[in-house]
Amino acid sequence: MIARDRNWLLIFAVCVVLAVLYPLFADGYQLTVIRDALIFGLFAASLDFFWGRTGILCFGHAAFFGIGGYIMALVTLNDAIPFGSLLGIAGAIAGAAFVAAIIGYFLFFGGIRGSYFTIVTLAMGVICQQAAISWSSVTGGDSGLIGIPPIAFDVGGMHVDLSQDLPSYIFVASIVAVIVLALWSISRGRWGTVLTAIQDNEVRAAALGHNAPLRLLVTFVLSAAIAGLAGALYVCMAGLVAPDLSGLLLSTEVIVWVAVGGRGTLLGPVLGAIAIQRTQQTISSFNPSLWPLLLGCVFVVIVFVLPDGILSIYARLKSLFKGRRQAQ
Amino acid sequence: MSDVLLRAENVGIRFGGLQALEALNLTVRDKELCCIIGPNGAGKSTFLNVLTGTLRPTSGSVRFLGHDIAGLPLHRIARLGIARKFQIPSVFPSLSVEDNLKVARWGAPSPARPIAELMDLVSLGNRAATLAGALAHGQKQWLEIGMALAIEPRLLLLDEPTAGMTPQETMATAEMLLRLKGEFSIVAVEHDIRFVRALNCETLVLHQGRRLRSGPFHEVEADEMVRDVYLGRR
Repeated sequence: MIARDRNWLLIFAVCVVLAVLYPLFADGYQLTVIRDALIFGLFAASLDFFWGRTGILCFGHAAFFGIGGYIMALVTLNDAIPFGSLLGIAGAIAGAAFVAAIIGYFLFFGGIRGSYFTIVTLAMGVICQQAAISWSSVTGGDSGLIGIPPIAFDVGGMHVDLSQDLPSYIFVASIVAVIVLALWSISRGRWGTVLTAIQDNEVRAAALGHNAPLRLLVTFVLSAAIAGLAGALYVCMAGLVAPDLSGLLLSTEVIVWVAVGGRGTLLGPVLGAIAIQRTQQTISSFNPSLWPLLLGCVFVVIVFVLPDGILSIYARLKSLFKGRRQAQ
Repeated sequence: MSDVLLRAENVGIRFGGLQALEALNLTVRDKELCCIIGPNGAGKSTFLNVLTGTLRPTSGSVRFLGHDIAGLPLHRIARLGIARKFQIPSVFPSLSVEDNLKVARWGAPSPARPIAELMDLVSLGNRAATLAGALAHGQKQWLEIGMALAIEPRLLLLDEPTAGMTPQETMATAEMLLRLKGEFSIVAVEHDIRFVRALNCETLVLHQGRRLRSGPFHEVEADEMVRDVYLGRR
């Protein structure tokens, strides 16, 4: 347990050092590519915080990403609202959390778990995407909203303007690092241990005095709030918001990122998101239709062969050699 | 009267056309130990489910310290001071022995016993870091008793605590319960007559959902009808 914590912190520290050094070697374009990948990494970490600790899969997590994105877009595009960026981020977090609280309340307190939860959240994602397409007077319909300004705000007399590549990279990387570290400390402590217990045997945990539905609900709301934040950051960096951001494809992709990176590790999903997006760009550059096919195959292979993610290869090899040594 | 902890009065429960329990009464006083025995299908586990509030009786009432507990959410019942050990060992397999006990303590309104003492009580003092899923069957049963103790219950309900145990483990469990007697009330539903004999306490014999006999175990054991229905079959 303690050795595992130390390893995690070590890998985290290495990632932070790499993230700090990266701007020295990368040009502006490469920085923005990694910055956007990091935002999706934050999104993956938010899903992992819920899925990894509760074992319940949300198949519509992009709905929260999209809700965050649309709220950010609507707030910042409206000139009448002061402090657009800050209010937009706050609204995006609150909006995603609110929707998660309402849906989660009925599901968790109604005893919906496992595959049923997955199916209901899948439907939720589809509904959100349809709403974004159909409510065109507000959302801009199929084509979405464009011209979303970069994040800019004043804090303590200092003006922060994220329209340039380097500042926006630093801003995003710091947010991702802080949130991943915070989620990790929550999930390794008392909160996470009780969640693991609930995942093992919910009735038993309740018979010991734990309010299991409430704990699952709060975890889900927190997860959705971070997904909403990721959505808000993304639309400001991309400058546009479109219905795909809450769609089924993104919901599937985020599951693949988490599965590839290693469910329950929080850091793995961030790395998984970055690695897969880089691969996607490379492969799509010589044949755009190859990628979805490959993505599907990778997903199937991971689920069957490496259900604990790519990082588990190391642990598996270790236990294999250990077993050999004991057998000799 | 004031030391009555749990009072079940005229409890009956009907599942469709089946009268599973009929006109059962049970009074558990503070710090009392009692057993419920009976052949398979006598309604022992159903009665225990009614006592813990997980099943609502179709007639009669169950009151714990004067509160009607039928239909309360499980965690509220636990916080009133009712701990329960399930028939199938229900520990958290992916947590260590120590974490299992920690989770149990965190659920309690006012935990008192330190983890180390709990582990010694249930003879798992040297297994703190072992994953609960890797424990032997009997040790899982003990760990579960330890988890029930961790919430500092007023009343501990045990559903077949010795199921699947070796005779030695069964006797060790009986000794464990006798040591704990006097700290809180214990109700054990059991099948294993040697275990109940070792406890030698107030015993309620169920047969086909009804009370067949009740009283101290040595009297119950001597009863002709009980022997015919239950003991004689063994």
